[in-house]
Amino acid sequence: MSEDFRDKVMAMIEKKGVAMRPRWHFILLSALAAAGILILVIALLYVISLAFFFLREGGAWYAPSFGGRGWFVLLHSAPLLLLILVAIFALILEILVRKYSFAYRAPLTMSLGGILVVVFLGGFVLAQTSFHRRMEFEAHHGYLPPPMGFWYGSMFRPPHPPDMRRGVIVMEEPGRFVIIGPDGEGTSTVILTPKTRLPYGEDFAPGDMVIVIGDADGTDTIRAFGVRTIEERMEIQ
Amino acid sequence: MTETDEQVALAVQGGAANRFGELVERYEAKLLRYARKFLLDPEDAQDIVQDTFIKAYENLQSFDTSRRFSPWIYRIAHNEFVNALKKKESRRTVFTIDFDTLFPYLQAVDTADSVALERDTRETLEKHLDKLDAKYREPLILYYLESMDYREIADILHIPVSTVGVRLARARAMLQKQAKGQNIYE
Repeated sequence: MSEDFRDKVMAMIEKKGVAMRPRWHFILLSALAAAGILILVIALLYVISLAFFFLREGGAWYAPSFGGRGWFVLLHSAPLLLLILVAIFALILEILVRKYSFAYRAPLTMSLGGILVVVFLGGFVLAQTSFHRRMEFEAHHGYLPPPMGFWYGSMFRPPHPPDMRRGVIVMEEPGRFVIIGPDGEGTSTVILTPKTRLPYGEDFAPGDMVIVIGDADGTDTIRAFGVRTIEERMEIQ
Repeated sequence: MTETDEQVALAVQGGAANRFGELVERYEAKLLRYARKFLLDPEDAQDIVQDTFIKAYENLQSFDTSRRFSPWIYRIAHNEFVNALKKKESRRTVFTIDFDTLFPYLQAVDTADSVALERDTRETLEKHLDKLDAKYREPLILYYLESMDYREIADILHIPVSTVGVRLARARAMLQKQAKGQNIYE
């Protein structure tokens, strides 16, 4: 039986002209898979860091220091389109790495969770650098090719919460101050009340960049629920 | 001294194509047993195992001879068998989203059964294996009939080691229910 079977298999290989695929074929496949993984990791780092950058730039990143309402502002400002891209890229990455033992030996939630933790940490670190600020500057001045400049357009930017302002203090009086938007657009009067949350103190001075959340009454006046300075300083234009 | 599977595979990779027959001889009985128990169709088993060897020959250059040959060829066999089942049961999906592989389980220890328990399980398995779903049948075959450990089974099925433990535990419980004449899917 054994020899019959063996002969049958060997005869079939010969008859069908079955040839061993060359080693380079498998090396090429592995290289393509590795390149795919690398590209996806870079894409994930880029998109996640861009999401962090938009949150910081819009000011919502700092809102949770005001408590529950601040967290709501942060969630409301989440760049959904970028997060959807992150989910898609992470799933594709998980499918690509699933053929490696380090991935399939772990439950799906753990390997996918591991991927997300690593890329979110990496994205957070990248967002701390001046990379996106420079890219945004170049995109706005038309120095970047369209596919790159596209990322810094309005499409991916999170919505600006109506109850949040970010700006530089241009005038200060007891119980109120006036801020001007970071691009020099529009001013808002911020009214401080005894209930206003000031997690980083109340020493405000002209030139400070601040985040304000509160109730706007349809005018440029906002009754502050919380105010804090952010480290970033900006030239008043 | 007999050469190891890996040494023979290396020789085949190096151009001694005829020596592939030695590997066929070594794995023929094991893969046929695996196929008959898993596919529950002795007639198809031989053809599918032949296809498995042909596929193994085609892809032999992808085998890393510093690793064990056995899980590699069993993995190919597993893929061939699952494809055969899918073709056969085209109306029923054999493996869809597998919730067993989503979350970590504590039950991951490769526990050696006592001799008596293992003998009992083998006997029950021979009688009632065909009543189980393919998902539970396969780890039982690999563990009890092919004497593989959890890690090897995980490598063949590409599932977490803890999932192997969970499936084996569930499969044993189903077998016990079946042996008592109860409905195993209740």
